[in-house]
Amino acid sequence: MPTVEEMRAQEVWNNCAIRSAFSGVVGGGLGIFMGFLLGALDNPLMHDPDMSAKKQFIFTAKQMGSRSWSNCKTFALMGLVFSAAECVIEKARAKHDVTNTAVAGCVTGGAMSARAGPQAACYGCAGFAAFSVLIEKFIDRHS
Amino acid sequence: MAANNSPLPDGVTKEQAFGMAETEMEYRVELFNRLSQTCFSKCVDKRYKESELNMGENSCIDRCVSKYWLVNGLVGQMLSAGGQRPM
Repeated sequence: MPTVEEMRAQEVWNNCAIRSAFSGVVGGGLGIFMGFLLGALDNPLMHDPDMSAKKQFIFTAKQMGSRSWSNCKTFALMGLVFSAAECVIEKARAKHDVTNTAVAGCVTGGAMSARAGPQAACYGCAGFAAFSVLIEKFIDRHS
Repeated sequence: MAANNSPLPDGVTKEQAFGMAETEMEYRVELFNRLSQTCFSKCVDKRYKESELNMGENSCIDRCVSKYWLVNGLVGQMLSAGGQRPM
């Protein structure tokens, strides 16, 4: 039988706001990591005779930093919206399905691409929904 | 027991009160068992993928218990109200 602390912890974890905040933070961390990776790959160290090695290093580091910060914000927002949508949908439907993941993916994709117009929002919705369903099936198979 | 905190109603002996309390207790236990059985079989998926309840099951059980309790109260009201005339 679960103890009182376990039940309290479960209640805390069931809160949509806390869950989506946590996902946002994790997404932000992932974004920083990916920003570093992609920034390092995109800016190879060029031997510029004008700048010294230290200045070049600082320049590259600033580029990587700004890149990873923008990535961090994007991924954090993505994680937050996806987690919040999935939580709200699952609580409303009172069912644990793959439909929750698909609709939450659609909402996230649509929200991220909404700036580029309604057609881009549709494509983003469909694409992200398919992606999240795939990831969910992949995770389920291995757990 | 010399001091009785709650006096028995008129015309009810102690044995009768005990019998009624026992019946009430059995009724409560039966209600609880039925409630958990119903809500478990309705809300929890048969394929147990993890040991904790996920959020969908949690809200399903909340709703199930609430509805069961309301139905119980409503049916009890109807039974006690319709007790005057034979059904």
